[in-house]
Amino acid sequence: MDYIYFLQLTANGLVIGLIYALIAVGLALLFGVLGIVNFAHGELLLIGAYAMALALPAFGLAYMPGAIVAVLTAIIAGWFIYEIFLSKLGHGEFERSILITMGLSIVILNGIQYIFTATPLLVNTEFGYAGVNIGDIRVAWTRIAAAVLSAVTFAALYVLLNYTQIGRAMRAVSQNRDAALMVGMQPRKIGRNAVILAASLCGLAGAAVAPVQLVQPYLGQFLVFKAFAIIIIGGMGSIEGAVFAAIALGIIESWIGGFFPVVWQEAAGFLIMITVLLLKPSGLFSRGGVRVG
Amino acid sequence: MEYLLELTGLTAGYAGKPIIHDVSFRLEKGTITTFVGGNGAGKSTLMRAIYGSCDHLGGGIIFDGGQIEDKTPWERYELGIGFVPQGRCNFPDMTVSENLKMGCYTLPRNEHRDRIDAMLESFPMLSRKIKEKAGNLSGGEQQVLETAMVLLSEPSLLLLDEPSLGLAPKTQGEVFDFVKRIAADGVTVLVVEQNVHGALLISDKAIVLEMGRKFLEGTAEEVRNNPNIRHAYLGGNLSEEEVSE
Ligand SMILES: Nc1ncnc2c1ncn2[C@@H]1O[C@H](COP(=O)(O)OP(=O)(O)OP(=O)(O)O)[C@@H](O)[C@H]1O
Ligand SMILES: [Mg+2]
Repeated sequence: MDYIYFLQLTANGLVIGLIYALIAVGLALLFGVLGIVNFAHGELLLIGAYAMALALPAFGLAYMPGAIVAVLTAIIAGWFIYEIFLSKLGHGEFERSILITMGLSIVILNGIQYIFTATPLLVNTEFGYAGVNIGDIRVAWTRIAAAVLSAVTFAALYVLLNYTQIGRAMRAVSQNRDAALMVGMQPRKIGRNAVILAASLCGLAGAAVAPVQLVQPYLGQFLVFKAFAIIIIGGMGSIEGAVFAAIALGIIESWIGGFFPVVWQEAAGFLIMITVLLLKPSGLFSRGGVRVG
Repeated sequence: MEYLLELTGLTAGYAGKPIIHDVSFRLEKGTITTFVGGNGAGKSTLMRAIYGSCDHLGGGIIFDGGQIEDKTPWERYELGIGFVPQGRCNFPDMTVSENLKMGCYTLPRNEHRDRIDAMLESFPMLSRKIKEKAGNLSGGEQQVLETAMVLLSEPSLLLLDEPSLGLAPKTQGEVFDFVKRIAADGVTVLVVEQNVHGALLISDKAIVLEMGRKFLEGTAEEVRNNPNIRHAYLGGNLSEEEVSE
C-alpha cells in the first residue's frame, strides 16, 4: 500500500470530517435546547455556501470576508426561521418540528435551485489551487483554511459552552428544562441563542465546503443526513462525541473512496449508523439522550 | 395585616384541563404554611400554578400587591418567587459550582461571587462537593443544592415541594430547622411535606387540599388537632407518644 496516498486520503478526510462536525454539533445543540430535529439544518449550510460563492467575487476572492458574509447570512436566515416557525413550537413537539423543518428545507432548496439553477458552481478563492507540501503530501490552501477555521471555531465553542453564562445556559436548558425555569431562565431566549449559534456554525461550514466541493442545491441534504448519522454514532450527543464521530467518519469515507469503488463512500456513514443503532438502540431520540456539553 | 400572596378562586391545570379548582387563600409575610393532602390531591400543581409553570385557567393571584396570574415563571422569579420543584431539579452534568452559577443567572455579574460564597457558608456540604457533578450527589445533597440555587436570588416567597423527600430521618429535622431559619429572615415559605406532622410543628398555618379543592384552612395547631385530619394524614406519621397524647 502506498503510504503517501494513504496519508493524503487521511488529510482530505480530516478536513471533510471537521466540516461535518460543524454541522453535527449545531444539530445536536438544537435537539438539546429546543427538543426538536431541524431538517432545514442543511439548507442553512446551503445558504452559507451560496453566500460564500457570491460574496467571494465581490471581495476580490478574499477568503475571510467571504466567510464572514456566509456566517452572517446563515445567522439571519436562522433567526428568521426561529422567529417565524420554530418559536411557535412547544418543547419536544417532534411531529410538527419534523414536518415544518422538512417543508422549509424543501422550499429553501427549491428556491435556491430556481434562482441559481441546478448547475454546480465551481467556487474560486484567493488561494486558487495552490497548496502546501507537508512532508510527502500536498494539501490545498482552501482545505487548510477550512480545517483551521473549524478548529478555531471548536475551541471558541468549547469556551463559550463551558465558561460563559450564555453558553452554560444552553447546556442548562438541554439538561433540565424545569431546572432552567427554576433559576429564572427564559427557554425561548436561550433557544433563539442556540439557533443563532447553530446557524453560524452552518454558515461557516458552508463557507468552508464551498471551495472544496462543488456548490449545488442538494449540497445541504447530503451533508445533513450525514450529520444525523454522526450524532447517532456520537452516542450521547456530547459536543466531543459529535466532533469525534464526525472526524472519524470523514477519514473513513475518504479511505473507502480511495481504496474501493467510490459508490461505497456515501454508504459508509449510514452502514456505521445502522450498525450502531442495532448494537446500541438508545440512539438520538432516547429521552435525555442528547445532552450538550 | 400585610399579605404577600393572595389567591382568589384560582383554577389551574394541564393542557386546558383543570386540576386545581377555585382555590382561595392569603399568606402573611414571614410565615410558614404547609399544604396537606394525599397523593394526587394537587399540591404540586398548586405550587406550579403560583410559579406559573402550569396552565392558568381562571381566578387571580396577587403577589406583593400586584396581579401576576398572566406573568411567566421568569417574570414571577424576578418579582421574588422562588420554587424548588418536587424530585430532582438541577443540571446533572454540571458541577455544583456551575449549578450555583446558573442560580445566579438573572443577577448582575459582580454579585455572583459574594452570593455564592455566602451560600457556601450556609451549606458547607456544597463547598466540599463544589467540583462534583450534581448528578453524582446523593438525593439529599441534590435537594440542598437545588434549594441553594433558588435562594441565591433571595426570593421573598419560597415554594418548597417535598424538600425532605429521600432524606435520612436525621437530615429531615435539619430541613425543618432550615425552613424555620429562612422564615425568621423574613422569607414567606409554602411547603409540601411527606412528613406532615413535622411540617405542621414548624408551620403557622396549614391548608388541606382534596381533589384539587381547598378542603380546610386553619392554624397549624387547629389542623393538627382536627380529628379528620389526624385520621387521614397524620396517622402514619405519629410517633407512639403523639398517638396516646
Ligand atoms: N404534567 C402533568 N400533566 C397532566 N396531569 C398532571 C401533570 N402532573 C400532574 N398531573 C395530575 O394532576 C393531579 C395532581 O397531581 P399533583 O402532582 O399536583 O399532586 P400532588 O398532591 O403533588 O401529589 P404527590 O403527593 O403524589 O406529589 C394528578 O391527578 C396528576 O395525575
Ligand atoms: Mg407533588
